[in-house]
Amino acid sequence: MTTPPVVALIGAGGIARPHLDGWRALGAHVRIHSHAGAERLAGDDPMAEAVPTLAAALEGADVVDVCTPTDTHPAVVRAALAAGADVLCEKPLARTAAEAQELVTEAAHAGRKLMPGHVVRWFPAYETLHARVAAGDLGDLAVLRFTRTGARPLQPWFQDAERSGGIVLDQMIHDIDQARWLAGEVVEVSAQHSRPGEVATAHLLLTHASGAVSHVAGTWGPPGTTFRTTVEVAGTGGLLQHDSTEHPEVRLDARDAAASTGLLPPIVGVSPYHREIEDFLTWVRGGDQPRLGAADGVEAIRIGEAALQALATGDPVALSTPDPTTANEVPA
Amino acid sequence: MSTDQTLRIGIISLAHGHAFSYLNALAAMPGVEVIACDPDVPADQPGRGEAAVVETGARWAASTEALLEQRPDGVIVCSENTRHRRDAEAALAAGAHVLCEKPLATSVADAAALVEAADSAGRRLMVAHPVRYSSAFEALSQAVARGDVGDLLAVTGTNNGRLPGHGSWFTDPELSGGGAVTDHTVHVADLLDALLDGDPPVSVLARANSVLHAEEGVETAGLVQVTYASGVMATIDCSWSRPDDYPTWGGLTLEVVGTSGLAAMDAFTQRVDGHLSGRGRAWIPYGTNADAAMVAEFLDVVRTGRAPRPDGRAGLRGVAIVQAAYASIRTGERVEVTIPT
Repeated sequence: MTTPPVVALIGAGGIARPHLDGWRALGAHVRIHSHAGAERLAGDDPMAEAVPTLAAALEGADVVDVCTPTDTHPAVVRAALAAGADVLCEKPLARTAAEAQELVTEAAHAGRKLMPGHVVRWFPAYETLHARVAAGDLGDLAVLRFTRTGARPLQPWFQDAERSGGIVLDQMIHDIDQARWLAGEVVEVSAQHSRPGEVATAHLLLTHASGAVSHVAGTWGPPGTTFRTTVEVAGTGGLLQHDSTEHPEVRLDARDAAASTGLLPPIVGVSPYHREIEDFLTWVRGGDQPRLGAADGVEAIRIGEAALQALATGDPVALSTPDPTTANEVPA
Repeated sequence: MSTDQTLRIGIISLAHGHAFSYLNALAAMPGVEVIACDPDVPADQPGRGEAAVVETGARWAASTEALLEQRPDGVIVCSENTRHRRDAEAALAAGAHVLCEKPLATSVADAAALVEAADSAGRRLMVAHPVRYSSAFEALSQAVARGDVGDLLAVTGTNNGRLPGHGSWFTDPELSGGGAVTDHTVHVADLLDALLDGDPPVSVLARANSVLHAEEGVETAGLVQVTYASGVMATIDCSWSRPDDYPTWGGLTLEVVGTSGLAAMDAFTQRVDGHLSGRGRAWIPYGTNADAAMVAEFLDVVRTGRAPRPDGRAGLRGVAIVQAAYASIRTGERVEVTIPT
């Protein structure tokens, strides 16, 4: 690995900014390639440069960070693997679980590392909650509720279900992954969504192999909607809950109404994106595997696809238990 | 009516603890004479029977028949869930308007029979959903009516509480009709019924488990997805998921998504929080007494004969959601909701 590491950041949309900040905080040299916005994102940072072609970005890169629209992930991941790089890929890993599984297999054959960016696992409230659940503080889990609300994303591809998977695969996949991280494998999904329109909202009802049930609600609200997530987990040992808007470290008031937090949560302190990227880089450098593997990304999509099927038919969809032999089969 | 000024109100059974809240509310209201009976209970059971009634200032009646012989203008039924039909039918047959503790009944057949009995008797039937009378819900209803959130799309509602008494009738299906799904689905369903102006539920999908308090033998956690005729969707978390030592009985919240805005309501957020040395977390409620506001509504219905909110048909729609939820839990399928007309 080069020192400092050379990172190819592909895509310069909304999520690329916190990724770039994370890499730069780790001292990386970042080449940014995108069909638009790469120069603006690179700004006047001497360690960030916009490059005109994908090939120029990948050439000799240690790591590729994929921040493009979901349907383009497989092509970019394959190009990165072919260039001999390890890959951090924004969630969801691919538009379908089958494609995502192919990427996992190809990464394993290439001997490269692949991690899907389920960054909520690095949000401090969620990792704290998970640590208490893992320590047994809540005993056996019975019922979990997750909500995630923000303004509707403005880029058209988010609204194109063929490209993004809509709110279920783009936004609610965060809480699908959380539900599975906290309460274990999901064996059945039921779902309902609002009628099509400017505002999109959906409710999932997940049944876990343990018998626990999870409610996952996602909303892409009107412009100006405050970004907010809530989680509540109840078990035989008690109850834990968190609301991202309830305990702000700093409150600002009477500011420009256009300064809505939109799609991304306000970050105070160390960025979860920074910590996610740091864990990935540690792994790439031969350290411990991060708190999620590529197979977790596949499974989140599998549950999300079951939800899309449940939305289409109105009926619950049963899921077979994932085959543990395929789990995270990336060689160390 | 008993006299020109005074209303005579009967309370049948103290099985549901809300009876005492209603008795206290009635005791503070002028021009009301209260009679109570407590059938189906051993005479010496603590907190029940004649001794418990006398403390509230109400007159004691030895039986339901003895109470109804005194021709009450209105009757509040607070018996165990599966006895609601028996007691409410008796009160309606005796010419009283009825306020029935929720759920109205434990089957669609029983709830529909009560609606029919009230119609035949020309008396009003109201269901005890006091959260309709909370200041929180009034504010939310006004915001929705003003169009602050546009057209309703989706609601997540929670009514979570502690287990309502270890080994009590609430967890004996013979008396309760079921567990958390029976006990806590209907409050949120009633608020949805109010927000949607009686829009009928058309399908329900529900899942439940007994992980919490597994020894009780009824479901203690449940999630109920409801689709309404208008296309509005809702999920209700009805779980008894508050620990036994939680600082209060539980709570009720609604998260509303509309075509142009969002709204969130917490019906029990009016409180002072803190920490009291040696006593732990402080949770000191204040604000409007929704039970008293609801009882005042019932008295006005009794005085004027006007339609109550919620009426028996709203209660029937709630019971239909619960019955469909149990069918969905049993069969695994999404279940169509059928409501007798």
